[in-house]
Order: sequence, then C-alpha cells, then structure tokens
Amino acid sequence: MRSAGLAPRLGSVYRLANNSPHMTQDVSLVARGLTRRYGTRAALHGIDLTLRRGDCLGLLGLNGAGKSTTLRILTGVIAPHAGSVSICGHSLADDAVAAKRHLGYLPDIPPLFVDARVDEYLALCAQLREVADVGPAVERAKRRCGLGDVGARLIRNLSKGYQQRIGIAQAIVHEPAVLVLDEPTVGLDPLQISDVRRLVRELARDRAVILSTHLLAEVQQICTRVAILHEGRLVHEGPLAGEECWLRLRLRAPASAPLLAAIGGVHAVKTTEDGAWLLQVDTPATAEAIASRVTADGLGLLELRAADSAIEQTFLELTRSGKVVAC
Amino acid sequence: MLIDAVFRREVQGLFRTPLAWGMLAVTQVVIAWQFLAQIELFVELEPRLARMPLPPGVTQLVVQPLLATVAMLLLFIVPALTMQTLAGERRAGTLALWYSSPVTLRTLVLGKFAGQCAWLLVLWTGTALMPLTLAWGTALDFGTLAAGLLGLALMMAAAGAVGLFFSSLTTHPALAALGGFACLVFLWMCDWSGPMSGETTVFTHLSMMNHFQNLARGYVDSADVAYFLIVTVAALALTVWRLDGDRRAL
Repeated sequence: MRSAGLAPRLGSVYRLANNSPHMTQDVSLVARGLTRRYGTRAALHGIDLTLRRGDCLGLLGLNGAGKSTTLRILTGVIAPHAGSVSICGHSLADDAVAAKRHLGYLPDIPPLFVDARVDEYLALCAQLREVADVGPAVERAKRRCGLGDVGARLIRNLSKGYQQRIGIAQAIVHEPAVLVLDEPTVGLDPLQISDVRRLVRELARDRAVILSTHLLAEVQQICTRVAILHEGRLVHEGPLAGEECWLRLRLRAPASAPLLAAIGGVHAVKTTEDGAWLLQVDTPATAEAIASRVTADGLGLLELRAADSAIEQTFLELTRSGKVVAC
Repeated sequence: MLIDAVFRREVQGLFRTPLAWGMLAVTQVVIAWQFLAQIELFVELEPRLARMPLPPGVTQLVVQPLLATVAMLLLFIVPALTMQTLAGERRAGTLALWYSSPVTLRTLVLGKFAGQCAWLLVLWTGTALMPLTLAWGTALDFGTLAAGLLGLALMMAAAGAVGLFFSSLTTHPALAALGGFACLVFLWMCDWSGPMSGETTVFTHLSMMNHFQNLARGYVDSADVAYFLIVTVAALALTVWRLDGDRRAL
C-alpha cells in the first residue's frame, strides 16, 4: 500500500490511527493518496479516506469538486493514476474480485436494465455478487427499499423514485460491508427523500456507508462524519457529532462581552464582522435564558438563532467564493 | 457462475429488443427468397445438367450461393446487433454495475460474446434447416454442407467478436455499428484489387471471403479455420484490453 506520507498533508484532515494492528479489524475501507487526471486536468489530488463499520461519511462538495470521481475510484469503476484502495483488507488493484464482493455501489445514474423486471434485475445483481440464496436476498432488499409490490413490473415503466430505490436495492442485495451511494436523493420528491435518508441511516448501523451530496443538510441528517472536497482536494474531514454549539445574537443597544458571558449556560462570547455576537452554549435551549436576560436589560433583541457550525461556515465559504478556507 | 449471469443478461437484453427480432425476421425472409430463387434456377437448369458428364449437384448450385448470401448479410447485421452491447451500456451507465461487481473484464466480454452467439445460433439454425429440407427430395452432399455450415458458424463468431470490439470503443451505438461494418467489409473485400494473375499477396490471406469460400466449397483447411479463430480471439482480447484501458485512462 502506498504510504500515507506521499499524500499531501492537509492540516485539518482527520485520520484514524489505522496503522496500528488493533485498530484495523473494523476498518472497512482505506483509500490512500488517490490521484486521478482527465487529460491534463487533475481531478483528484491525493485523497485519503478511512471508513470503519458503523461510519456514515458524507462526501460534500460543489459540482465538479471530484465527488463522483472519488466514488468511482473507490468502487473500481475507474482506476486511480496514483494511490490505492483496499476494501475489507483486499486491495482493489491486486485482488479486485475479492474486494468487490464486499462492495455495493449506487452510481449517480442508477445502473438499471430498463427492459428487465424488478425481480429479474435484482436476482441478476445477487448472482453477480455470488449470493448463495438469491430468492430470500432479493425479497429482503425489496422489503428494505419498499419495492414489495413492484417486483413483476418492468423497470422502464416505474417512476424515478422507484428507479432510485431499485438502484439502492441492487447495491444492498448482497449485504455488502461497504456501501457507496452517489447522490442517492437527487431528483426525488420530499417524501421520497425522507424515505431514502431513513433507509441510509438504517443501513449505516452495521456497515460502512459513504455518500456524496451537495446538500449540507443531508449530511447533517444522515451522516456521522463529513468530508468536504473542493477542486479535487479534501479540505475538511471529521466527525459530525460533538461539534460546539453556537448561537448568533444581534442586539439594538450596545452590550458588553462580560454581561453576555454571565448568562447561565454561556461558555464563550465572540463578536462577528457584522456586529453580531456569537455565544457558545451547551444546548440550543439556552436561547430562552439569553432572550429573557437581554429583554429584561432592555438591549433590544433583533436576532437570536443557531449559528452556522464550522462545517457550515467552510461549506458556505466554498459556495460563495469558490475558494478554500482554512478550517 | 458469473459468466452465466452475464450471458443470461445479454440474451435477455437482446431478445427483448425489437431490433433483434426484426433483424432475424428480415434475414430469414431474404435467405428464404434467395433459397427459392436458387431452387427455381436449379429446376430450370436440370435438363441441361443431365447432359453434362460431371454435373454440379444441388449442394453446389443451391446451398453454396445461399451460404454466400448469408455471409454477406452478416457484414451488415452483426455490427447492428453488437452495437448496443457495450456502447449502449456505456451510454446508459450500466457498465458501472459490471465494473463494481466481482466480475473480471474477461468474464464480462466472454459472457457478452456468448450472448451474441446465442442470437447468431438462431440465425445459423434457420439457415441450416433450409438446405436440409432438400434432403427429402434429392441427394445432398452432406460433407460439403457441413463444411459450409462450419464456415458460416466461424464467420459469425469472427464478425460477432469484431462487432463487440467496435462497440467497446465508443459511447455511440451508431458509430460502433459503422466502425464494425467498415472493418468487416474491409476484411471481406480487401483483396478485390489484387493482381488478376492469381498471385498471393498479404491481402489474399487477410481476406475473409477467401477463407469462407474455401469452407463453403467443402474444403476444410486448418489454415482457414485458424484464420477465423485468430480473428475471433484477437478481437475479444482487444475488447478486454480496450475496456481495461478505458478504466485506467492511460
């Protein structure tokens, strides 16, 4: 395997200590130094990722950031120009067949044979992944994806929502240890989006899931970790849980930092460029105490809401300026 | 068996398109028409043939031209049949399913090739049954017929493999069909402009028509059989190589 040291070191990239033997047993996917070019244009520059069982990693980025390319490399659809991928201990380059047995992949366009019936298609996918009992595996995948009543229908005649769910069903029919989903909710209606998100959360309980999206809210709802890609580089990677909770407060009258810091539940106070205050709190419920205190002091409450998290700030900066910001 | 899954999907995909059935129907009608025309010609010529010391039989006068027509038709219909198999899948995004499954590229290509061969086998059987019906009324030269049908089967395999290779080159099925057609026509007629003296050139050896005609006449020469096998294996190997290169983008 290529050494992690060959990849560009990004200050904030979160790495698991997967080099120590006792940490590797749960590691489902390791990618090191993934680099890929399209012609002369470099699409990826040394991406490092590690996923363990129970991880749900949201790969976030603008269009063209390299999300789909990363996922295609992780699933063996395209090969990297440099770097390596290993799935459940099997190298994708040297032992591709064994590695791909543990892999489920939903590309950005679901790979459906539209002239097949749903049952036929899922049975084919199960056979391709060498599932011993095809019938029960197909039924299980259909049940999980809500496809119970369309098994005999031609895929061509089903709605986009159903087709997307068939795409997810083919990716999980063989119960893979690693599930890779490329924009699983794109093009779906709000109800279907909520169904798919619930399904992904459920699937992530006992396997490693990596999904790409350009929606931050989706990552926050589904994922346990987030990685932000920008122009082919990983600019942030880390767990989502345990983020500090900040509230944004705007007052009509001038106030002092000690005054605000004295409110119960407030741990830190900062000011922003636009004259607002940022208050670090234990829980968003502290907003009630803050509101009653500033109202009682006659400071004129103009705005009080949850502030953007570090991830949100990074992503919003990228969205606004297209430039990488430190985080 | 993974190759079995690829094969069955290919057959399923082929036989669910109107194109495959349409081509089968049209080809059968053309062959049947030619067959009847040749029989009519044979019946007309029969009194004159009877006066000849060593007259050509029904196998030479009916079966050989029939097989030559089918071989010519293959140049057109095989690329049209194979164009969808990889180019269409690349366009529809379904190649990602094969690539992310534990299927080697060799298994994928061989499974797809076997699926194409299944369709061609239907055509081959339809073609073979027509001359066999003559056995009720006349004496057939079964040796010549068997050699001709062997030639047709080899030609089908080679054309299928060439078509598959061109299908692996592009995202546009029509372009794949055009490329396959151009290549097969070149292989068929590449020695047409050769010297009239009968002198052998490299194009004589390269010409698919020469090798096919030997077999159709009843001469089973290992060189002719080897030619078709080499074209088939080379085209399949190139397809695997091309798909691998596509993945790597070297």
